[in-house]
Amino acid sequence: MDTHLERQITSASRSVEEARRAAYHDGSRVGALVEQISVLADLRQKEGDFRKAEGLYREALFRAQELRNVDPELIVGIYSLLAHLYDRWGKNDKACEFYQQALDISEANGLEASDKVATIKNNLAMIHKQLRDFTQAEQYYQDALECFQRVDGEESSRVASVYNNLGVLYYQLMDVERSQEMHEKALRIRQGLRGDSTDPSDLSQTYINLGAVYKAAGDFKQAEACVDEAKRIRANVNGYRPRPRRAASLLVDRTF
Amino acid sequence: MREILSIHVGQCGNQIADRFWRLVLNEHGLTEAGIPKEGSKADANANMEVFFHRIRDEKYTPRAVLVDLEPGVIARIEGGDMAQLFDESCIVRKIPGAANNWARGYNVEGERVIDQIMNVIDAAVEKTKSLQGFLMTHSIGGGSGSGLGSLILERLRVAYPKKRIFTFSVAPSPLISDSAVEPYNAILTLQRILDNADSAVILDNEALFRIAKSKLNRSPNYMDLNHIIALIMSSVTASLRFPGKLNTDLGEFVTNLVPFPGNHFLTASFAPMRTLGQEGQVRINFPDLARETFSEDNFTAAIDWQTGVYLSACALFRGDVRAKEVEENMAAIRKELNFASYVPTGVKLGYADTAPDGFASSGLALVNHTGIAAVFERMIGQFDIMFDNHAYTHWYESAGVSRDMMKQARDRVAELAQSYRDAN
Repeated sequence: MDTHLERQITSASRSVEEARRAAYHDGSRVGALVEQISVLADLRQKEGDFRKAEGLYREALFRAQELRNVDPELIVGIYSLLAHLYDRWGKNDKACEFYQQALDISEANGLEASDKVATIKNNLAMIHKQLRDFTQAEQYYQDALECFQRVDGEESSRVASVYNNLGVLYYQLMDVERSQEMHEKALRIRQGLRGDSTDPSDLSQTYINLGAVYKAAGDFKQAEACVDEAKRIRANVNGYRPRPRRAASLLVDRTF
Repeated sequence: MREILSIHVGQCGNQIADRFWRLVLNEHGLTEAGIPKEGSKADANANMEVFFHRIRDEKYTPRAVLVDLEPGVIARIEGGDMAQLFDESCIVRKIPGAANNWARGYNVEGERVIDQIMNVIDAAVEKTKSLQGFLMTHSIGGGSGSGLGSLILERLRVAYPKKRIFTFSVAPSPLISDSAVEPYNAILTLQRILDNADSAVILDNEALFRIAKSKLNRSPNYMDLNHIIALIMSSVTASLRFPGKLNTDLGEFVTNLVPFPGNHFLTASFAPMRTLGQEGQVRINFPDLARETFSEDNFTAAIDWQTGVYLSACALFRGDVRAKEVEENMAAIRKELNFASYVPTGVKLGYADTAPDGFASSGLALVNHTGIAAVFERMIGQFDIMFDNHAYTHWYESAGVSRDMMKQARDRVAELAQSYRDAN
């Protein structure tokens, strides 16, 4: 057991208790309580105790709804945190339900344009992809892409991520051409962002995915070049020294 | 340390909490604020950690979670002399109220507060080193105690599958009733107790009323009744908290008292039955104490003593009693009790050195008697009359409890009653 995490949980539990006491006497302190509860819930999730994390998020949700001035953005936030938890827990239908509720609430409150909604749609698409409902997944990815493009501009890491996701989706659909197009777009953006805001492992992942696409298209030379590039980038990442077997496993395409 | 967490749900559950914690505070030599009294001897030998969490030197707080859907009773506890006792982070109260409707406590209002309650319980459990189990007090006829209590039981069982869950459940009386929908609430709750609790002590206000009345020279009030319940609860846990020659814990009770799975509905008797302020006036000799402990009209539920048999029994004596005396007298009493033919062994015994506050010695009997079927059959009878005429069921349907669900609960309780009858 990670003692650092344990210590964090102990102190977060104590803060929740204090916040409960404060909120018990003074209704206006419920907002602070909700904040403390979500901190603890996040730690519980890290610890792997999904049941407790679920209980905490749900309490935060109901408490937040009790507030005099209900903040729709906060509610949407908690709904998507809960949905994310169910997603990690493997409860796909519940995750979908809660993401959907988050979408409904943001729509009712005029928050459709927010990047939070785009994140929700991206995550929803991932679940639908897992459930092999590819049309729905594609639709959600397109929506998310459009929104991120509007908020962040074309050259941003979030846009690149969605391109990457779309590329993986098309690859699964055996649509190699479109997959290649998406991954190339992602690669171009990620290369452009190199050095400042991107994670080098994202870039190497794009090379790996591209490699897989080239391999599927029969262009083994290009594929090898991509994988070599990916390995080179990974080797430069501090402390990353893949063992031979591990390097071979990199050839398998992976979502991020 | 083998800690016990008490959960008090609803109006009735919290009124019991009020009496119970006063009594326990006294037994452990603590003031109403949870501070040891000066010169108190009790703290030398008492195993305080079972019921209390030490915040710092000289300050203890009960391991208790108070839950209600209307603020009245808890506000009274907080406004009284125990204002400083309970940890406010362990009190959950919500305004709407369950309106005497099991379905509202279980579905509508319950849904919104259950997570908070479970989080509070989790936090309280994390403060224990080796939790032994839960005690829950509630009434099964009302709305919060029955509906929300059922929901808590279900969630507790899922979250803590290996811990003992004991309930002290106040059942509707045969003649006096304080709400029209009591039979519905009771049947729906009994099914949850059957499925999720390890043991349930059934208490019925009318029996308590009768007991209190026969021992008092005035007409008893609810405080007197709750005091009797508090004495029983305190005695059940006495041998965990105080040293004695023969210790019993919740697990031993369950092993000894539950001969068949599901047949875990008990009734209790406490002797010498004195009410508030009367304790200690009479010093009773042991044979009388033992006889009173097992006297049929001293038990807290309307049991059919004539047709039923004892499945198991457990006696716990506290205070100034001698083992030899106990064994001699219990052998005689054992012969008089009508046990099931397949239970050849005796009565489970336990002793604790410290008697409840104000008593020189006391006795507690917990028995599993097949006559308890009468209690269930009576409720089923009342349930059927209403249910067959569709009376009041719309309140439950509108709160998400279908007639099928009610029927299912009714059939489960009917099976339970039959299994008790079959055990004769």
